[in-house]
Amino acid sequence: MIEVEGLTKVYVDLPVVDDLNFFIPEGQVVGFLGPNGAGKTTAMRMITAFLPPTAGRIVVAGVDLDHDPVGLRRNVGYLPENVPLYPEMRVEEYLRFRAAVEEIPRVDVRARMDDVMDRCMIGDVRRQVIGTLSKGYRQRVGLAGALIHQPQVLILDEPTVGLDPNQIIKVRELIAELGADHTVILSTHILPEVEQVCERVFIIDHGRIVADGTPEALRTRMVGNPVIQIELRGANGDAHDALIPLPGVTDVRDQGDGRFRVEHTADSDPREAVFRLAVDRGWILTTLATEKATLEAVFVRLTTREDPAAEPVTEPAAPVEEEV
Amino acid sequence: MRKVLAIVRRELIAYFSSPLAYIVLTAFLLMQGYIFYIIVSFLNNPMTQATTPLRLFFGGTVFFWLFMLFVVPVITMRLVAEERRSGTIEVLLTSPVSEAQVIAGKFLAALFFYIVLWLPTVIYVVILARNSKIDLLPVAAGYLGVLLIGFLFLGVGTFTSTLTDNQLVAAILAFAAMILLFSIGLVEQLLISSSALRDALGYMNLWTHMDDYAKGIVDTRHVVYELSVGLLFLFLASKSLEVKKWR
Repeated sequence: MIEVEGLTKVYVDLPVVDDLNFFIPEGQVVGFLGPNGAGKTTAMRMITAFLPPTAGRIVVAGVDLDHDPVGLRRNVGYLPENVPLYPEMRVEEYLRFRAAVEEIPRVDVRARMDDVMDRCMIGDVRRQVIGTLSKGYRQRVGLAGALIHQPQVLILDEPTVGLDPNQIIKVRELIAELGADHTVILSTHILPEVEQVCERVFIIDHGRIVADGTPEALRTRMVGNPVIQIELRGANGDAHDALIPLPGVTDVRDQGDGRFRVEHTADSDPREAVFRLAVDRGWILTTLATEKATLEAVFVRLTTREDPAAEPVTEPAAPVEEEV
Repeated sequence: MRKVLAIVRRELIAYFSSPLAYIVLTAFLLMQGYIFYIIVSFLNNPMTQATTPLRLFFGGTVFFWLFMLFVVPVITMRLVAEERRSGTIEVLLTSPVSEAQVIAGKFLAALFFYIVLWLPTVIYVVILARNSKIDLLPVAAGYLGVLLIGFLFLGVGTFTSTLTDNQLVAAILAFAAMILLFSIGLVEQLLISSSALRDALGYMNLWTHMDDYAKGIVDTRHVVYELSVGLLFLFLASKSLEVKKWR
């Protein structure tokens, strides 16, 4: 559905997007994850035929950007960052304008408008002036505008920025719903969003894809051995040495106050052994939890160069929402 | 064509939903009315040379040009600059529309607004026609001149609006460009020596163009000049929109 080869954008000697290569099959929801300035927006602008690439080839739904940029635009629905809309127009006026610009046959306009207003739950504000709407509504009006021509591909740049938690949930649900019959690319720097909505993640940094896979695959591939957290009361200095020989354990780190971080091989589960050990030695086991490394850890590891051995973050990760 | 019309419609909604449109309309009419009054009272003085009031009204006074130079940038400054500022240009140009269609739609909307601005002045013609005998053909030629000069200036303003995302900057650039175009013809009178240059500049003298129209002379050279320069700027606007997909 979306084929990108050697996509590069250079601004005055500085490559913002650097040799991107990927293929996204039909119906996949893909997240572009990366820090600000990683080149996500620039990549999206090129895929939507807004910015001409410095080099590379883009094919969307069988249409090559080089041959037919206007035809490519027909297959793409795009919602830029910050949802630009015309504040002086009414919702219906805006959608009718979009319908005309997107070449929807006159007879279908009414039905298409009703359909997208229904899908995006904006029917109740159809007569309202866009400038007076809340951010959440505006986001959905923008989305409705991007959907009006039934594009096969939907490209959303940071679709949940600036929304309150309820609105975020609504928009995410909507995106998940749209994922059923659209190919979707969305960019974000909000990690839980990717884990919730996307089937596949590209971690982008300095204009390159540094990781590509399902959120789960990335997590297991990048984080390494699974870890359990233990907290013991009554254990003296000997706990560390007692934990090491347990089956499957590869590393034990004493974190003080009776807390230990136990790394083990992926095919073993030393929790039972830890419990029996504690019973044998008469220690009181107050915590015995598996630590699930989040995508956040993967992200931090891949996008920071200074400290690649940073400690994996435990679940639940503090949600990195908003940076309005 | 339907896409162009959709853009025209959208621009008109934008014009008439902002207070600026009504302020411009009101101020324009107040000033035009005042000048019309001055012209008529001036001509009532038996000492003055005989001419027709509408000939003075159409470009015969410096006021006419002051209006054009101030009002046109206000009409055009928003067109592209505002889309650039708000980012809506990105949505527009990722729809299957060409840059030329965007410029055409926006320009036509500005031209329509400009016509609306002038429309109430027809009342002056009616007032004069009721109180005296007037020749309607020069009046029609005068309006044609207003339309053509407007075409040229609005084209310039549309172009400068594509250059920036700041409306005020767009207006100032339009103002400067229009002053330049306007004065290029006026310096003709300062050059006595080189006759070829003088003729060339004379050809571009908008003041004499407008004066001719007001007399009822529709010189095709003038018409061609206004239309071609206007279209040149619209072409530049479309190219500038293509090139300046900023960032």
